[in-house]
Amino acid sequence: MTLIGADLSAQAVLGKGATTARKSGESLSFGDPRHLELSRWLVEEAYALDDQRYEEWLDTLAEDIHYLMPVRVTTALGAGYTTSPGMAHWDENKYSLSRRVARFLTEHAWTEDPPSRLRHYVTNIRTFESDVEGELIADSAVLLFRSRGDTNPGSTISAQREDVLRLVDGRYQLARRVILVDESVLRTQNLAIFL
Amino acid sequence: MDSEHSIYDEVRRGMIPAHIYNDADVFARERSNLFSRAWLFVAHESEIPQPGDYVVRKVLDDSFIVVREEKGEIKAHFNMCLHRGMQVCRAEMGNASHFRCPYHGWSYRNDGRIIGLPFHQEAYGGEEGFSRKGATLLPAPSLDSYNGLIFISMDPDAPPLREYLGDFTFYLDFYTKQSEAGIELRGPQRWRVNANWKIGAENFAGDMYHTPQTHTSVVEIGLFREPKAEKRKDGNTYWAGNGGGTTYKLPPGTLEEKLRYVGYPDEMIERMKQVWTQEQQDVIGENGFMISAASAFPNMSFVHNWPMVEDGDDVLPFISIRTWQPISENETEVMSWFAVDANAPEEFKELSYKAYLMCFGSTGMFEQDDVENWVSLTNTAKGSMARRLLLNGRMGMLKDGSPVVQPLTDDEFAGPGVAHVGYGEYNQRHLLNRWADYLEDDPSEPQRPVVVGLVRTTPSAAAAEKAAAAKAEAEAQATAGSAKEASA
Repeated sequence: MTLIGADLSAQAVLGKGATTARKSGESLSFGDPRHLELSRWLVEEAYALDDQRYEEWLDTLAEDIHYLMPVRVTTALGAGYTTSPGMAHWDENKYSLSRRVARFLTEHAWTEDPPSRLRHYVTNIRTFESDVEGELIADSAVLLFRSRGDTNPGSTISAQREDVLRLVDGRYQLARRVILVDESVLRTQNLAIFL
Repeated sequence: MDSEHSIYDEVRRGMIPAHIYNDADVFARERSNLFSRAWLFVAHESEIPQPGDYVVRKVLDDSFIVVREEKGEIKAHFNMCLHRGMQVCRAEMGNASHFRCPYHGWSYRNDGRIIGLPFHQEAYGGEEGFSRKGATLLPAPSLDSYNGLIFISMDPDAPPLREYLGDFTFYLDFYTKQSEAGIELRGPQRWRVNANWKIGAENFAGDMYHTPQTHTSVVEIGLFREPKAEKRKDGNTYWAGNGGGTTYKLPPGTLEEKLRYVGYPDEMIERMKQVWTQEQQDVIGENGFMISAASAFPNMSFVHNWPMVEDGDDVLPFISIRTWQPISENETEVMSWFAVDANAPEEFKELSYKAYLMCFGSTGMFEQDDVENWVSLTNTAKGSMARRLLLNGRMGMLKDGSPVVQPLTDDEFAGPGVAHVGYGEYNQRHLLNRWADYLEDDPSEPQRPVVVGLVRTTPSAAAAEKAAAAKAEAEAQATAGSAKEASA
């Protein structure tokens, strides 16, 4: 399925306030300074998420962010949809994300005490101009490896992401992220992480 | 067998052999004696509203197509072609008039009847070789529903669902009938956890005691209007029929005030008053108890809670329904749905969904800490030390078996069954006692296999059938092209 963030965001239950930016034209040249800036942003973000520096991460999110990960379903070829209508794993705005981050910062978020060892592998980055002034779009593939305890098998989550990055006062902010996870049934005990 | 019998005896006195949470032999008995007979939730009618809509759901290893056929009736077909056993439907949801096996092209109407059998005459000699008449995909042994909740039992002689659920239906209505329209279900989110299936069912049935500890963090971040975890001990746990659950005690006020307190708008309250009995209204209005988590034996659970979903003081209630699908003795697939009254205002539905996502399900902030505990418990239950340990599951019971606090009287609690205020493991014991009853009671006779395609016919009947079959085959060829998926 081709990920079109604007469409999935618009179909989501809580996507009303989000930017409607769509890609325009072909992907930017890998030597384009904007491509390099966005790539750097995504790599820096991956390190922040690996290190669970969530307050810092929250600061990089726009006030009107829509952070969406629909539930994937297996449907017949030609059915026209591969996400569960009206349901998502995350369908978040800044408030709900801020509560999630605040929870990790308490001393009682047991699921992350001891913390998971996390590695976000971010690759296949391509970037685009969009139809909204000041907003660029970045596609990436992400593979999260998560290890808990000493001998439990690690869990992995594979997904494609489409991000809208908005330039505000010389800094990029994440204004919309749509995550198309590759599994219908997740094989991780919970999503006490971010992608 | 002696050791198995002692497991059940221990369970019945409130002592839980720790290894039952990770034991392949115990799981084998659960498979043969419990999941082979109990009623198991698979879907809700609102998931398949239109003719041809289907979802594919599993009962342990068995895949069923739960479908609304053309006349609007709901059926559950075993998802296996009668010929060579291929799955006839490999999607998990969709809309189809027919299901066609990709292996040799046998096709079935969505009501299960076989309609297309390529080269029927040449390959089988027509009806005389394979009688299509009356041949259908194997139906679920038993199928029944309550408030649109569809259940399957693998026992063809299962009692009616209503009888099986018993007085628990009184409480089920709070979750699934807030108006004449009933609920609509969205989802499920599905994920697998390395935990035994019983732990979640027990937790939702009656564990108010874990809330202040496990869920400290969600209170600390201001998700609730009050220090809710500490309030837990003022609620009661009830058990009625084949299920039980937990409640919160609400501040004084009328029924309307109490429902408003947890965030229901007036128009929804009016509809609840129209569909709930006086006793159901009294549980909330007069007795002051608001339903929270619950479980129906063996592996279905419910939750009702009311967090803040935006900055400010307003809370919003949500309902979630789930099953704990056993994969093995140490792995469970959680299927978690969001449920909301179909007549609720759109804005309410949106915010209620948001409340669900924040609290429960794959990303829920309550859920995250629960699962961590259950995985750890399951891991630890594997070893030899766990076979020496009887966990004390006697909370709420004195040495002689009498309760620490007396059950609520009819004046104090208008609901059926037995209810106690405060912390106690009454419901976990009810659940495990039922579990022990099933596991101890071996099925009397094995199920007889179903024979398809071999029906003895008289020569004249065979000729008539032949003509009918030829017509059906032509029809099948004509409709095979339209058997493609229609998008929902």
